Amino acid sequence: MADSAHSHTAGAHAPAGSRRDFLVIAGNALLGVGAACTVWPLITSMNPARDVLAAGAPIDVDLSSLQPGQQVLVIWRSRPIFIVHRTPAELTKLQASADTSLLRDPNSEVLQQPPYATNWHRSIKPDYLVLVGICTHLGCIPEFTPQPGGSLGPAWPGGYFCPCHGSRYDLSGRVFQGVPAPYNLPVPPHHFLNDTTVRIGENPPNSTFDFDSIAQI
Amino acid sequence: MAVSQNKLVQWIDHRLPVFTYLDHELHEYPTPKNLNYWWNFGSLAGAMLMIMIATGIFLAMQYDPNAGDAFQSVERIMREVNYGWLIRYIHMNGASFFFIVVYIHLFRGLYYGSYKAPRELLWMLGVVIILLMMATAFMGYVLPWGQMSFWGATVITNLFSAIPGVGKAIVTWLWGGFAVGNPTLNRFFALHYLLPFVILGVVILHILALHQHGSNNPLGIDRKGPQDSVPFHPYYTYKDMFGLSVFLIVFAIVVFYFPNLLAEPQNYIPANPMQTPPEIVPDWYLLPFYAILRSIPNKLLGVCALFGAIGILFIVPWLDTSKVRSAYFRPVYKWVFWLLVIDAFVLGDVGAHRPEGWWIVIGRLGTFYYFFHFIVLMPVIGWFERPLPLPPSIAEAVLKKHGGGALADAAATRAKP
Amino acid sequence: MKPRLVIPALLAGAVAAVAMLAQPAQPARAQAEEATPALPSVSWSFEGPFGTFDRAALQRGFQIYTQVCSTCHSMNLLTYDDLAGPEGLGYTEEQVKAIAAQKQVPDIDKSGKPIQRPARPSDHFAAPFPNTAAAAASLGKAPPDLSDIIKARAGGPRYVYGILTGFRESPKGFAMPPTGGNYNLYFPGHVIAMPQPLQDNSVQYADGTKATLQQEAHDVVTFLTWASDPNMEQRKRTGAKVVLFLLAMTGVLYGAKRRVWSDVEH
Repeated sequence: MADSAHSHTAGAHAPAGSRRDFLVIAGNALLGVGAACTVWPLITSMNPARDVLAAGAPIDVDLSSLQPGQQVLVIWRSRPIFIVHRTPAELTKLQASADTSLLRDPNSEVLQQPPYATNWHRSIKPDYLVLVGICTHLGCIPEFTPQPGGSLGPAWPGGYFCPCHGSRYDLSGRVFQGVPAPYNLPVPPHHFLNDTTVRIGENPPNSTFDFDSIAQI
Repeated sequence: MAVSQNKLVQWIDHRLPVFTYLDHELHEYPTPKNLNYWWNFGSLAGAMLMIMIATGIFLAMQYDPNAGDAFQSVERIMREVNYGWLIRYIHMNGASFFFIVVYIHLFRGLYYGSYKAPRELLWMLGVVIILLMMATAFMGYVLPWGQMSFWGATVITNLFSAIPGVGKAIVTWLWGGFAVGNPTLNRFFALHYLLPFVILGVVILHILALHQHGSNNPLGIDRKGPQDSVPFHPYYTYKDMFGLSVFLIVFAIVVFYFPNLLAEPQNYIPANPMQTPPEIVPDWYLLPFYAILRSIPNKLLGVCALFGAIGILFIVPWLDTSKVRSAYFRPVYKWVFWLLVIDAFVLGDVGAHRPEGWWIVIGRLGTFYYFFHFIVLMPVIGWFERPLPLPPSIAEAVLKKHGGGALADAAATRAKP
Repeated sequence: MKPRLVIPALLAGAVAAVAMLAQPAQPARAQAEEATPALPSVSWSFEGPFGTFDRAALQRGFQIYTQVCSTCHSMNLLTYDDLAGPEGLGYTEEQVKAIAAQKQVPDIDKSGKPIQRPARPSDHFAAPFPNTAAAAASLGKAPPDLSDIIKARAGGPRYVYGILTGFRESPKGFAMPPTGGNYNLYFPGHVIAMPQPLQDNSVQYADGTKATLQQEAHDVVTFLTWASDPNMEQRKRTGAKVVLFLLAMTGVLYGAKRRVWSDVEH
């Protein structure tokens, strides 16, 4: 009995039956579960904290001083949000087929906007457009260039021009063909509390839309 | 001999023999088969180091080392960050448990003579680890920037002013200002993040030194052959995992149900340089050394005593003159050892109290005994003690314990009718 | 070490450790000069491993904080959001919005001018003074922020309850200092700058509970304990799961260890 240790040199141990293997397997399994449960809080601590999420709460913007043809920029969830008060002339142009035929996604088929903004004016009220001002190419902030023509050429109907790589969007944020940007500018959840106040970051009542489900911020 | 049939494993191993090394360390490396549970504390210390580094990194992602925001950033972790309270409490209590484990590991070494040849360097690396741990823990405690963080930093950095001549310049250099302040906090954060990885490096050296000659054992006698040992895996891997699991139960109970048991309430008050707290005390694991520092009425000598108390540990392998390693066979030293343990607890209690009345006397007696134990008792007892006879081998001793072995067999044969 | 010595050694260590740890629980550690009486013992709903916060008491305590304490004490680490939901005081989002809107917090307007505006749920609690210097200038001494007060005082809930119920006439022979103050049984040194904040019926409870001093103190301390430790209930729940899991795993690993070692004399 004294030399039972000899058989252990290469790590082979006498098979002691299924009960020992069960305990060993069960022990290893529990250790694995324990390790996973220990790692989880560490990983999830990197997700946005409560105060960061709270800072992403909806914001209310007063539109009473926003003149037709003007754009105001606000910040929501650390992102630039364009709010444009469009003129009737601009709205008419947006529906002209001569211009819409130049667009990549004129009917907003790609999910870049809530269902209540899936229309030609990509908003709830045609007068006011709300966009996330981040170019869907590589993330620069496009410039507001509502005047037709000018340095962008006589065919330019008015819209947005991104200075980084030349992407262009119309005054509904729809992207043109032949530019690097692949998608229309995103429309965030929003709704009107009254005629002069828009709440950015919240869907209208009875409407659900998850902003994280869009194709490209 | 190939480690594995797997071609990828062989390709890597041929270029960087990690698999051969691991295979050797786990399956071939001989460990004495008679280790008791006091030998679990080394692996527990390694586990605590991993836990502290992991929780520390994730805390550092949210912590702000600026003096104006540090306290609030820690409270933000507790209140706003997902599971931030858990990561913080694990890190805070983990420091205490790390020291509990390491102190037990150290006393285990003292009792069983694990520091004796050829393991002197192994022991000294361990003392370096403890020194680095104390520095890391001290700086870590400053980071929440509570009252005790600030004032503890003030008192301890002021110690260096005791150095003749350059003392004041050194203190100003440590502070980065006219007093403990934002520059101090920032550099302590940088160093607190750095030192654990230095500790990791020294731990690797510590394990390499260990593997040179293998573990000591409760009998203190060398392994004589394969019958005295078992491969590390699976015997000690499973024993270590079981021990870790038991340890984690105690740790979990403290973290989840008594998270502020070892905490100082004053540190939940933001640092106020204009108001000194009624008592300035470090965390419990530094209390015995704090007591030694305060028991000497001279500033410079007090500082020398403080560092001497740790420094003396380095030369323990040469202070102990015993021919025999384990106190198991040392009839006098095995009781004297416990006097040191009691002395450590007494000094800890002294450090927690204001230095007045009886506490001063007890503190001085305790400090005296601490140095007396190492400088006088260890060498003297070694010289004059008559150790008990050592067993011929580990295997023999184990067999005797179970009533077997050559002598017992012979006696049993004679006893048969 | 011989097995028969292990148990006595562990017991000795455990006794010594407990003796050391037991001491800070008493107020004597912070009050070496003046002997204060033992803190009053009160039973709290949040005590023990299965303790929870009594939400009715939390709301009454918050009412006391709002109507009495917040005139002098800030609670800068809490947001109005924290009051909502089952982990908070049980208020709905709408109630929290209304509570917040009653308070004014500093901000800057579009042209950069400092203004006051109604608080939002994500704002931190409105503070009575913009900073400690202003508080000290107004009151003589800056009242401490109450966000962490329960953790920041030895004795925790019992200490704060003691302070609130411990105001007395200074006894004969006790000299009040020339700088003034109020005599309190449990405050170290017995002279506290704060005048007695609560009496019977200092507030009219919204839920109709009789507002004795003891009730008010009990409720506000419950609220302050929640404020110091809002995650307590989650912590204890998670703790139960973790400890049970570890007990099970320890049992299995012990069996595995025994099995692994079953073929070796040791």
